[in-house]
This record gives sequence, C-alpha cells and structure tokens, in this order.
Amino acid sequence: MNDYGHDLLFGSFVTPVAQPAQHGVDLALVSEQAGLDLVTFQDHPYQPSFHDTSTLLTYVASRTQKIAVSGNVTSLPLRPPLGLARAAATVDRLSGGRFRLGIGAGAFWDGIARMGGRKLTPAQGVAALREAIGIIRDAWDPDQQGPLNHEGPFYRIEDGDRTPYAHRPIPIWVGSYKPRMLALTGAVADGWLPSIEYIDGGLPGLADANHRIDDAAHEAGREPAAVRRLMNFMRASLVPTGQGFLDGPPEVWIDRLTMLALEHGISTFLIGGDDPTTLTRFGTEIAPAVRENVAHARR
Amino acid sequence: MEIGVLLNADSAEADELVALAQVAEDNGIGIAVVTGNRHADAWVVATWITGVTDRIRVSVPPRDEPFDPAGADSAVPAVLAKAVATLAALAPERTLPPGARWTVVDADADADAGSVRDAAGAGIPVVPVHTAGDVTRLRPLVAAPEPEAPAGRPHRSALALAQRMPGIAYDAVPAGLAARAVEPGDPEHRAVASTYLRGGNPGLVLRPRTVAEVADAIAFARDHRDIPFGVRSAGHGISGRSTSRGGLVISVGAMDSLEVLDRSRRLVRIGPGRTWKRVAQSLVSHGWALGSGDYGGVGVGGLATAGGIGLLSRKHGLTIDRLRAVELVLADGTPVRASDTENPDVFWAVRGAGANFGIATAFEFETSVVGQVGWAQLTLVSTDIEESLYRYGQIASEAPTDTTVFLVTGRARQGQWVVSLFAVVDHPDPDTVIARLTPFLDLGQLARQQVVMTAYPGVMANAVDIGPDGQQGFGEPVSRSAFIPELTRQFAHEAAELLSSDLVYFFELRAMGGAITEVPSDAMAFSHRSPLFQATAMSSSDDLLSAEWDRLRPHFDGLYLSFETDRRPERLLDAFPGPVLERLRRLKAEYDPTNLFRDNFTIPPAELPVSTMAGGEQTFETEKAA
Repeated sequence: MNDYGHDLLFGSFVTPVAQPAQHGVDLALVSEQAGLDLVTFQDHPYQPSFHDTSTLLTYVASRTQKIAVSGNVTSLPLRPPLGLARAAATVDRLSGGRFRLGIGAGAFWDGIARMGGRKLTPAQGVAALREAIGIIRDAWDPDQQGPLNHEGPFYRIEDGDRTPYAHRPIPIWVGSYKPRMLALTGAVADGWLPSIEYIDGGLPGLADANHRIDDAAHEAGREPAAVRRLMNFMRASLVPTGQGFLDGPPEVWIDRLTMLALEHGISTFLIGGDDPTTLTRFGTEIAPAVRENVAHARR
Repeated sequence: MEIGVLLNADSAEADELVALAQVAEDNGIGIAVVTGNRHADAWVVATWITGVTDRIRVSVPPRDEPFDPAGADSAVPAVLAKAVATLAALAPERTLPPGARWTVVDADADADAGSVRDAAGAGIPVVPVHTAGDVTRLRPLVAAPEPEAPAGRPHRSALALAQRMPGIAYDAVPAGLAARAVEPGDPEHRAVASTYLRGGNPGLVLRPRTVAEVADAIAFARDHRDIPFGVRSAGHGISGRSTSRGGLVISVGAMDSLEVLDRSRRLVRIGPGRTWKRVAQSLVSHGWALGSGDYGGVGVGGLATAGGIGLLSRKHGLTIDRLRAVELVLADGTPVRASDTENPDVFWAVRGAGANFGIATAFEFETSVVGQVGWAQLTLVSTDIEESLYRYGQIASEAPTDTTVFLVTGRARQGQWVVSLFAVVDHPDPDTVIARLTPFLDLGQLARQQVVMTAYPGVMANAVDIGPDGQQGFGEPVSRSAFIPELTRQFAHEAAELLSSDLVYFFELRAMGGAITEVPSDAMAFSHRSPLFQATAMSSSDDLLSAEWDRLRPHFDGLYLSFETDRRPERLLDAFPGPVLERLRRLKAEYDPTNLFRDNFTIPPAELPVSTMAGGEQTFETEKAA
C-alpha cells in the first residue's frame, strides 16, 4: 500500500461539447466557485460535436482567476510538440502558472487520420510521445540557449524556437494504461492520469499499474513520488446508479477517495458527469472531508 | 474610422500584448491582429484577449503551409480551422470575420485618415504597435469619420466593406438592385449563402423583382465574366449550381406571384421564385394541380427549365409538358416570350436546357385536374436489396399510370436496408388506392406505413418552410444521375453491390413511363422519354462514386442534369444526346453567343470548341488559364 504524500487536488473532467457553446466555460466557473483546484477537458479534435480543446482551455483560463486547467488528455498526434510547448507556455504565463499538460499518445487513430494526423501503431505512439516530451521540456528549459535542433525517428526540428518563459516547469501528466506507457510514465512523467473505468482488474489492477510506474521510476533514477497519481472518474454520481466507483451519497465518496489516497497513493481526483450540483458538493463537502481524513491519517 | 492594431508575438511577451489590446480597446480601436509564431503563441494571445476585453475583435493570419507530421512545429489545418470555429462560438462577434481583409499600414504620428485609408486599399488599416503610446497616438485616426456611402446606396460599416470580394464592382450595382443586394459583410448574407445541399459564400447576391431589374442584373453579370455566376429560384438544386464561392448569384426568389389567366383553359402564370408547395396551395381551390418533383421546397424556375420528374408524372407528364409559354431575359438583356408560336426555338430549348438560355421571369402552365389522391409513405426493411430493387422495377413499371412510386434506400445496417417508398395514386377511391399499393408491400418487411387521401398540397407539404437563417447546406454535394431504360436483373444485381459498400448514403429510383412517353422525344430539349426509371446516387466521395457509377453505365441511357454533379465534359452528351446537343449549340450561338449562362451544364455555342464543355466554375478556371 502506497501513499506518496502528495498534497490532494480535486477537480472536474468536463466534456468539451460545442453546443451549448458556453457549456465548458460555465462548468469551469462552477468548478472554480466550488473551490476545486483543476478543470480538465477531453481532447478529441475529430469529434465534430466538440470544441477545440486547446482554444477552450485558453479561454477558460482567461475567464477564471484561481483554478488550473489541463487537457485530459491532449492528443499528441494532432498537436505536434513544439507548437504544443509554445501554446502551453503562453497560457501558463498569461494565467500566472495555471496550466498543466495532460497528454496522451493518441487514441482513435482512424479519427486522427481522418483529421489529417499521422496514424501510428501503438508501439510507435509510445515512442513518439517519449520523443515529444523530450522536445517539449527542451523548448521550455530556461537554461538552454540558442536554437532548438532535434533529429529523431518521429520528429525533426531545425533551428526551432524555444519558448523561454514557462512560468516554471509545467507538470506533464501522461494518460496511460498498458505496460509500455506505464513504463514511460514512471520514467519521464510528472504525473499519471488514467480513468478508473479503463483500468483493468479493479483495485488490484490499480496497484499493479502503480508498481509498474514505481519500478520504471526507480530504473530511471527517480523517486516514485516524482510521479503524481491522478484519477478520472467518468461516472461519478451522488445518486446511486449501480455504476461507477463513486456512486452514492457524499459519505461513500469520502470513504472511497480516502482509501484511494492512503492505500493507492492517488492524490488528484477528477470527476466527470458535467453536473453543476455534483461538482459543487464535490468541492464544498467532499473535498474538505477527504483532505481532513488524509491529513489525520498522515499525522 | 475603423482601424486595427498589429501585435507581434515575436517581439513582446504575451501579457504585454494583452495589455496593449486592452489599451487599444479603451481608445476605441476595434480590431487586434496578432502575428508571429516564434515566441508567444499568437492564437493563445488572441483567445486570451477575447476573454479579458469587451469589444475588440481579434484575428490571427492563417497559416497556409501544409501539415508535416514530423515537423514538430507544424499544425494540422483541420485542427486550426476547428480552433477558429471554437473561438467564434465561444466569443461571438469577437473574431474578425474570415473574409475580412486588412492591410498593415505604418502610420506615423501625423498620418491623416485619407492617406491611411489609401494605403490600406480595400482592407482595414492595421497599424503595428509596440507601446501604449503607439496606441494612443492613433486616436485622431479612430475619431476620423468613415467615408459616406455613394448616393442612394445602403450604408455599410468598414468591417462589412472589408469583406467585399475581389473582382466585383460593388459600387456599380444598378441603383434599383442596390438596396436589396446582399454582400458578404451583410447580416443577411448567411441566410442566402448556401443552398439545400451545397455550402456557398457568394461575393454578391442580386435579388431583382421585375423584368427590368433582371435585365439590369444580367448586364451586371456580363461585366463580371471572371467570377462564377449562378441563378437561383429557391436554391434547392441538388447539384448546387445556384451558389458559389466568390461569385455572383442572381436570385429571383422575390418573383413569386401566381395568377389565373384563363379559368376555362386552366391556364396559370407563375413567377420563377414561387415554391411548388405554394403553387399547390394556390391551385387546390380550383381543383387543379401541377406535377412537380417530389419536394415542395423546390422553386418553379429550377424545375420548369429542366424537366420535373414527379409523383404525378406517370399520369400527367413532366412539369415541362404542362408548360404553354415562358418569358425570359436573354444574355443581352432582351426580354422574350416563347411558346409554340412565338420564338418556338427558345421554347424548345428552355424545356430541358433553360439554364443555358436566360433567366425566366414567368411561366404559363396548363394545370391538370387533380382531386383527392392517395399519398403513401411506406418504410420497409429488406435483407435482399437486389430482389427488392428488381421487384420494385417490375411492379412500379407495370402499375397503372395513375400510380407513381419512388424508392429511396441507402447503406445497409447490419445486413438490412431500409427502403422508403413514396407513392401517389391519382385516384379518388381509397379501395383502389390500397389495391394499387398492395403489390409494393412485398418488397420487404413493412416497418411503418402512412397512407392518406389528400389533395396535392398534402403531398407537397413534406417541405419545411425555410426560416430567416436560410438554407445551411455545406461542402460540395456529390450526386450522380442516370436514366434506366429498363430495370433488369443485372442492373438490380450491380446496384445491390453498390449498396452493399459503404459508398452511397442515398439512392433513389423514380418511376417514369406513362404520360411521359406520350411526348415525342424531339419535342423539347429534354429528350429522355422512353426510360422507365431515373436513378440518383449520393456519396461523400466524388472519385469513388465516379468509379462505381461508371461501372454501371452499360445500364444507363442519359442523365437528368438536375441531379448530376459530375463535371466531366462527356456528361453533357448524357444530358443532351448528339442531335439535341447540336441543335442546342446552334441556338446557344444565336441567343447566348458569349456563353454568359455557363454555370449549369454549359452548352458551348456552336462556334466554340468542344473542349470548353466542362461546366461552370471549372470552365472559368480553364478559360482563365488559357
């Protein structure tokens, strides 16, 4: 059983639907009002009924004061790394350090190809993501001078422009499930950002995935605690539905989230469902109680 | 005057650019263009500006380079387009309209409005700024008045004027047409830009109300040979020729009157802009109807110059078979009347190739006596589409001529095809109607049926009225048409193969025969009298559909031009077989020798080479290249 000792963060996982146009903005404002730390948005550019997540994130950040924003997770194949690094650093600067880079290797490859992106095999996707994270960090690195040059199997840059004013290193959170991706996460990521619904094998599967990340971190000479463990709960309901891990009144959520924090090291909880009431109670009732429980247990 | 500031993201930090935009807004400046892509991200800066300001519009110059997946700094065009659409939706009226032109003008402290305007040409002047002082120095320019609109012309904002398109002499629009003309920057433009199936962005829509105004509009078209030119009645045309990108549209939608000329001869006079739904509504009180395709939203002009294969056709003939006279304005602006006795050549040509000869301003029809009809919409599910098509072919062609049945299907879902039948039985007796329809129920498993006795307006009522937002077709329709002399087993087999792929989402067979065959094939430019069916297929892929449709050609004999989007020159011979085309070309040389009416199945005038036969906008491209 692991507790990596991270401070706890609570947030929302919002569907970036284009109709009504202000849906995502309104839920971000509700999230901020509820005292949540983070508002995150899926990124599926090939989904015609969705907004462009990158633009939505920027707009949301411009309309809020405290809450941090992130793609959950950004589709790398449709958002090449140097442009992504520049956009991220720009939002981060304008928002006073409120940007987080949730990123994935890409899913729905047919959709990606239809949109004009490059279709890769899963193995190539993992390798491309690792290469891209290197490029992004390089572009942000304030200690690097001169043009950015890179020649890799998936990306090449000649005399690229750095983005020198990241407010501070922006955390990179990787969405991952399979062994190769978990290994990448442990080796290079600042956070792990899966959805509980997609973790095979329930809580034992979660423990296994955490171990894989820990092992990969050790192998890379890092502390496992260098990788924050986040979790999406796409189905989260205060009214019992018989579905989902968070299913029932606040007490049920508080117990389960406390357990995940203390026994599985999950320190960031992001809930879906797009329901303002649920988000409000999550932020105002549930989050303080979980924080208190965990602080008490850690004492 | 309208003026913008140019913010360079390569030479300042993002927060400094946002602060400059705020100063600009405070000083009455309406536009901030953000350029650069080496330091701060211009799109992020522009988006942020909309979030923290109240009025100023933002724009980022489009990136035109193609996407390189290995180029770590490349961008996917479709993603960029989506970003633009997203910001326009999140921040309405806060982005510069995509067609608005602007020009970078380096205005120094004592620049006067006139010289800045001259330097900007047709665009809005956008002045590079680096400091708040650079912005406040622009105040005298901001305070300068906009130039007056020419006398008698509607006032348009500078932003609207900046959306005018190249190659159009907007200020030369004849006075009578100017008040109702729609330009890209006008609020109404969105409502007139697109048609039923095709997305468009015309540079100018002229909306004449009288014959004289039609002549004026045609004169304007004659002065604009280098842009696409379409004529619109109600904008339903499947091939979408009544809109364009950057072209001129003459819309006769306002010419929509209907009057009874002679009750005893059932003679009516109808304007080209009236929809067939409204025609039906106006005739029903007399006990009359005019057969008109299968959709009430179609305009009179488009149908009555092409054919009109409808749900009354087997009993009463094509729509053009009921036409007794037509009035149109020719390419040189001359109004002519055509009938069997006046300009009979023109009358012959208009009935099938009307779009090539002028703009019709009135049609005189002899209506049919039509009372209560059986109107059926049947939905069946078929697991063997070949058999269903073949059986339909037999039943529909052998049915009495009072019975006209159209079949619509598309892609299979889980091995099943949904087959919709649209049927009119022109017979007042419900039992006879049921008897006529019963054989068709065997084409599949009946899933839904609606059969009513109704007058013809009840059939045409299927079309929803077009609201103030107009029609919102998008992209390019891809449609193929063919006349099928006889629906053979082999055709059913090959059509079933086509429908077993994912390619065709809409497939229709219209039963013909009956009264259609009673008119000699040389009586008018529409000459396809003997085929028993007209087939239409729609797809999202032009190339793939062409390949598949070409394989079916042995079964075809000609095409119906209203449902055809194939622009290959040989299609012209499918629409107009050799002798018909020869006569049309001679008449074209006589009545439209410069080929002004060129956008809808262009018929090259006799003395022009056949190589210019490709239709419309493509012809224009070729001509320009040559």
